[in-house]
Amino acid sequence: MVNTEVDFWEKRRQAALAAYETGKLPYIQRFHYQDWTLFDETQPLASDSGLLDQALLKTDPQQIKIVQFGKSTILIQVPEKLLQAGLIVCDLKTALKEHPDLIEKYYMTQVIKPDENKLLSYHAAFCEAGLVIYVPAKMELAEPIEVELVGDATRKQPWLHHLLLIAGANSSLKFVQHLSTIGEQPQIANLVAEVVAGPNSHIEFSSLDEVGKNTTLYFNRRANLDADSHLEWNCAFMNDADSIGDVCSELVGQGSYGYSKAIAVTAGDEQMAVNNLVINRGRHTTGLINQRGVLLDNSKLIFNGIGQIVHGASGSKADQKNRVLMMSDNAHGDANPLLLIDENDVVAAHAASVGPVDPVQMNYLMSRGIPYPKAERMVIHGFLDAVLSGMPKGMVRDRMLTILERKLIHGQRQRFSEV
Amino acid sequence: MAVLEVKDLHVEVVDQEKKISKEILKGVNLTVKTGEIHAIMGPNGTGKSTLSETIMGNPRYHVTSGQILLNGENIVGMPVDERARKGLFLAMQYPAEVPGVTNTEFLRAAINARRPKDNPVPIREFLQELDKNMDLLDMKQSMTERYLNEGFSGGEKKRNEILQMLMIKPSFGILDEIDSGLDIDALRVVARGVNAMRGDNFGALMITHYQRLLDYIVPDVVHVMMGGKVVKDGGPDLAKKLEDEGYAGLRDELGLDIELVDEN
Repeated sequence: MVNTEVDFWEKRRQAALAAYETGKLPYIQRFHYQDWTLFDETQPLASDSGLLDQALLKTDPQQIKIVQFGKSTILIQVPEKLLQAGLIVCDLKTALKEHPDLIEKYYMTQVIKPDENKLLSYHAAFCEAGLVIYVPAKMELAEPIEVELVGDATRKQPWLHHLLLIAGANSSLKFVQHLSTIGEQPQIANLVAEVVAGPNSHIEFSSLDEVGKNTTLYFNRRANLDADSHLEWNCAFMNDADSIGDVCSELVGQGSYGYSKAIAVTAGDEQMAVNNLVINRGRHTTGLINQRGVLLDNSKLIFNGIGQIVHGASGSKADQKNRVLMMSDNAHGDANPLLLIDENDVVAAHAASVGPVDPVQMNYLMSRGIPYPKAERMVIHGFLDAVLSGMPKGMVRDRMLTILERKLIHGQRQRFSEV
Repeated sequence: MAVLEVKDLHVEVVDQEKKISKEILKGVNLTVKTGEIHAIMGPNGTGKSTLSETIMGNPRYHVTSGQILLNGENIVGMPVDERARKGLFLAMQYPAEVPGVTNTEFLRAAINARRPKDNPVPIREFLQELDKNMDLLDMKQSMTERYLNEGFSGGEKKRNEILQMLMIKPSFGILDEIDSGLDIDALRVVARGVNAMRGDNFGALMITHYQRLLDYIVPDVVHVMMGGKVVKDGGPDLAKKLEDEGYAGLRDELGLDIELVDEN
């Protein structure tokens, strides 16, 4: 096991194992995934960094960059002056040895709990790979933290990973992760991210998910927001894998603000369901959801937007938009807004739509000579703009735009002779 | 010289709610050559905008008979983007908003659509041309990075239409009520843009309800439309006469049996 000296860790894993045996799969409205393979109890092996695209390993000394491949940590680079100022960036194993107090306090104790469902119990019982980032109070990071997480599907083995991101009071940071896979073997991925947003902290969390076709992915990303903190999720789901997952913001502290943006482009026979939740617990909290999906080919996408205002969260605001573009008659999409409100003094709104690209916008662009396929891609770019423009400039963003263009062109080739 | 001819054009639209089609244009005839500015005037509901949208190729409008010839080629049935690349441009009355696509990005895509794939417009050349035309239209630099028409005021949208026309340099500009909703200063600016295009390689078809526009862009020919047809042609004087006597006066003079929408 990871470290026999850490007593609490072993006890927790035993408890999680028991919960895993009796646990139930989470319910996802209007989506059947119960027959998917989502568990694999075998031990993953170390991965060979020689298989990685070496461009991923390029860094400059000012950058904070982490590359993890399967269960192996390949690169951690942090400027020395930030380390001296108290920034902690290390893999889970190291954190257990060097910062067991952080793990004991935060790891699946406050934000996400192991016994919530079978997938999380499994995660708590089996996950050994991960990344721990602690940004001390008042630290303001000028450059984004860049993380490359690569699944090793060159062998049949599970990919489990846990991210724990703790932002101290008044800190400010941008976090960008890129999920991808190498190899074509069938594998399950179970990726959990916990974010602890301290009082008045400011976090922009971006993720580009590009998980390969033969992986079945479960993800859970959740943040607890303390008073006056500000968190934005920017999730670009560009997987080829079938996937289910949650993105959740718990607005615990008074005056906290959570904005959950997500885009998904699904293609082929891909199936995806996302629960995007924002829960207003504290007073005067603001919870926003903006989800945009583009469906190609025979794919299926369910966007559930769940805005909950609990009793006592007076003066709060919940607003959500869920929109889905159907680019193929064989695709299956749904945008389901759900508002659960248990308090009177609040402002809440939702909007949802499922449909084709806007013919008025198309006609306008084409009336300037832009051919249909190009005009359609422009309208779709615009449709996805909230997330596209929210992603910080850099390699991951460039990669996202490249994948998007490739996916759209591929989808168009099924429909038009000339693209 | 390029020629745009409309021959005995009949057009209907389908009422989406009632699911019935209604004939709007009932045999329009018109010829415009480059080097000429034509104005089409007419009362509300007479088919002026239908004519402009149909020439451009908006799929909502169905040509039931007649022809639209561009340099002798019938373009009825040709998709809108192809017509645009052949030299037609429609400055729309209500331009669409396209969030997420910047003005610059859009203009470059439009210009490059007319060039070979491996020879896009050089950026410097593009930006110089853009600066020049924005100066002409008193447009702020910030407009270039704003999303296409999103949150633009009515006047800004109209200027942006003219900016596109100046950049794309079509053979024929169809201007659908570019004067509506503009104050006199904005109208002057828009007119300056259109007048800058006047010349041997450009022809225009201006649709308007008001004679005021024609004080700033003086037409060579004025057509009056009523009841889905061109009922009278003339010079700039015809517009002035209409301003004085109204459309009802002209109708009665011509002995037409047409009911005007706004007539009491």
